[in-house]
Amino acid sequence: MNRFDLLNKIQNILKDNLVICNIGLPSQELYKINDQPNFFYMLGSMGLSSSIGLGLALSQNKHVISIDGDGSVLMNMNTLATIGNRAPSNYTLLIIDNGSYGSTGDQRTFTDENTSLKDVAIGSGCKKVIECSGEETVNELSKAIDDKDNSYVIISKINPGNVKIDPIPLNPITIRDRFRKFIGIVKYL
Amino acid sequence: MKISKKIIDNLKKGGVDFYLSVPCKLLANMIDILENDKDIYYSAVPREEEGMGICAGAYLGNKFPCIMMQNTGIGNSVNAIVSLLQLYQIPVVFLISYRGTPGEPVGAQGGMAKITEDILQTLRIPMLHCSSEKDLDKISTFSKHAKVVESPVAILCDFNLMKDDT
Repeated sequence: MNRFDLLNKIQNILKDNLVICNIGLPSQELYKINDQPNFFYMLGSMGLSSSIGLGLALSQNKHVISIDGDGSVLMNMNTLATIGNRAPSNYTLLIIDNGSYGSTGDQRTFTDENTSLKDVAIGSGCKKVIECSGEETVNELSKAIDDKDNSYVIISKINPGNVKIDPIPLNPITIRDRFRKFIGIVKYL
Repeated sequence: MKISKKIIDNLKKGGVDFYLSVPCKLLANMIDILENDKDIYYSAVPREEEGMGICAGAYLGNKFPCIMMQNTGIGNSVNAIVSLLQLYQIPVVFLISYRGTPGEPVGAQGGMAKITEDILQTLRIPMLHCSSEKDLDKISTFSKHAKVVESPVAILCDFNLMKDDT
């Protein structure tokens, strides 16, 4: 299973929640599969998907899923410490770990060598840390959302590989405003 | 404490209700005040760039965020400011302890001090430079301005203004 297959499989879970999606191919694939107003596509700032989602979860009550990648978490590793100390129960971090910088040509990341993001998350104070296969991810993600007492970090171990795809044509302000309209903040659209 | 209290009062008057900080000794009193304020959200954060991401999420969730940091934190955050806050037009107040300005005892702080305003200018970020107590009265209007123009804004507090605020 690669990222595109996984993003397809989790569509039913994503639809009722707020989704922050990592820059590059993850966002482009998600957009191609099923563009929705509750998807916030990152067009820049690699590394910050988990952080944007955390700020959002702290600010309102809907469940937030940050879709991140191993390369991006490695770039902003302190995020796991902040999550381990501050994440509310309406927050789930889904790290799609394919051991590869997919958007830049599938160069190997350190999770394909010695680094375990599961161990880093546990060491950072995250209480519910699940490492699972792509096939198990749907089930684990459902359980995480149903648990109203805990936030989760789910590390989904999948294969590298990308789908050839175009950049997202949406304007950033369109992405922002329709997302905030879905939450109920923007009234003028 | 008087200066720190005035800064926080003015930020709150400007509508700011979500605060992060990467610590600085000049911000210590403000952090104490915020940790005991039940009306707002406050947390420490390990790195400024990460804080920019959290602030962006907080704005998406209808909060008005502020990140408190040393001017060195601007250097850590340039891409997040441009490719996240400015790209999506997200208002955030940067409350900056302006290390390396006159009165600063640590020589090594001078390097970032020399280029801080140039960086902010290059980024087209509106600045409010506070060097005396009366400048602090402008903070609430200046914070509201961030929301009106949908942009990050920077408040720079000089070393000499903050150093005796015990």
